[in-house]
Amino acid sequence: MSFDANTIRDEFPILSMEANEHPLVYLDNAATTQKPQVVLDALITYYTTSNANVHRGAHYLSDRATAQFEHARDRVAQFLNAPENSYVIWTKGTTEAINQVAHGLEWCITPDDEILITSLEHHANLVPWQQLAFRTGARLRVLPLTSKGEWEPEYAHYFNEHTRIFACTQISNAIGVKTPLKDMLAAAKAVGAFTLVDGAQAVAHYEVDVTELDCDFYAFSGHKMYGPTGIGALYGKAHALDVLTPLQTGGEMVSHVTYNSTEFNTLPYRLEAGTPNIEGVIGLSAACDFLASQDREDMLIWEQKLARYVYDELKFNNDIEIYSPAIDTTVVSLSVPGIHTLDLNGYLDSQGIAVRAGSHCAHPLMAQLGVSSTLRASFACYNTLSEARRFCDVLLEAIEILGDD
Amino acid sequence: MTELNRDAIQAQLKACTSKEATFKELVSLSKQLERLTDAEKIEENKVKGCESAVWLIERQENGICTFQADSDAKLMRGVLMVILSLTNGHSKAELQAMDLAAELNEFNLSSYLTSSRTNGILRILQQIQT
Ligand SMILES: Cc1ncc(COP(=O)(O)O)c(C=O)c1O
Repeated sequence: MSFDANTIRDEFPILSMEANEHPLVYLDNAATTQKPQVVLDALITYYTTSNANVHRGAHYLSDRATAQFEHARDRVAQFLNAPENSYVIWTKGTTEAINQVAHGLEWCITPDDEILITSLEHHANLVPWQQLAFRTGARLRVLPLTSKGEWEPEYAHYFNEHTRIFACTQISNAIGVKTPLKDMLAAAKAVGAFTLVDGAQAVAHYEVDVTELDCDFYAFSGHKMYGPTGIGALYGKAHALDVLTPLQTGGEMVSHVTYNSTEFNTLPYRLEAGTPNIEGVIGLSAACDFLASQDREDMLIWEQKLARYVYDELKFNNDIEIYSPAIDTTVVSLSVPGIHTLDLNGYLDSQGIAVRAGSHCAHPLMAQLGVSSTLRASFACYNTLSEARRFCDVLLEAIEILGDD
Repeated sequence: MTELNRDAIQAQLKACTSKEATFKELVSLSKQLERLTDAEKIEENKVKGCESAVWLIERQENGICTFQADSDAKLMRGVLMVILSLTNGHSKAELQAMDLAAELNEFNLSSYLTSSRTNGILRILQQIQT
């Protein structure tokens, strides 16, 4: 197996589109990735050959759908290298997975407790904890990581006997930096905290190994790893999932109901109320297959090479400030002092280039960087060097036109 | 305030035959916009629902409306020049009778006005009419 971006590109029908009369250059992959034909086919095949509700009717189609649905659960568990005594719970995505945990642990949080996150979190891994803290009287603490993803030994006291929950992103969506997960998880475990990893930005690029991470919970979204929107998962160790209060209640997640009482079903069903997103689950499974059939290491090297190319092209430009690291990232997040990122984005968009301008759902991090927004180019396996080059060229053009004062 | 000549602005934008030229023209228009002071750029003057921050102030004298607007984004300031050229000097009743979105369409701004940006601009137009 060897990796070639131009070959893989052909598997993504949307990439041959034009945008604003220019060939589409899609560099907004950290927001969502495009979908390969195998994932699209899986959705169509499901609806044309297997559509039925799962775990419900004892009939041919329902059996087929249920088998594929549960196979997908195994597929995702394998994708994450999930150990024994753990489960994959289907969710809408990362946000819902984190909310399930934040809601689910509320019963055991006291005013004496601390909930610890880092300064690189997406709002999805901040607001649910902040609200939990408001509801319970617990204290939300923020471990200050540098924009290079480093933490100082002097911050060790953030992990203490009050720390009940430690929730941390694996990679910052806004600037693409990796967090020192291993050290932090070890520190959190040493004080007996529940640990949650936000893997939203990691799954498309890195081979995730939850056995090695040894976290209690891992959350991610299918749409950021070549799968459909509206599906994601909460991985958890059985003992951690067992103590969660379900976020929603209703069908399938119960085993017996009277007007006065409800006996809940076992894991994983206990945390999956209502008819699940069956097509999404099957599409996500196909996305796992898609990734597994690639040389993941070469793929990552390629994506990093593209980001590095852009970084090197722009780093000496005095108009541009770059917030992403030089190496080990698939993202280049930048700003041009004096020019609004929305204006840059507007020009790039008019030239067919899709990037993201904004605060990337990370207001506190923007404040830490001293900007209100950045322009983020984020790469996926199907991007090419000529796209990276075109981004740089058009960005410089935009600066030329928009910088005229 | 600079003379807001609707016809001149329209002619300049219509003369743009490339996107680059349109963007340059918007930048050039943006420079003519009279900026608001920091004291005027307050939350209650903000138009909700715009991608970039947009502030809008309305003054009425003898039934005639004069609007002043500002944005933190340059291209939006250019578009605001266009909008103000359409709306200033009219009575509220006149403004309400106008199809401002349709009139704005006559300025050849489609290379800049994507759907999300258009939503914000519709909010500005709505606010001008109410
Ligand atoms: C790091 C991170 N966490 C959480 C999320 C939320 O993911 P979703 O919107 O799919 O729930 C995102 C998406 O942008 C993200 O990048």
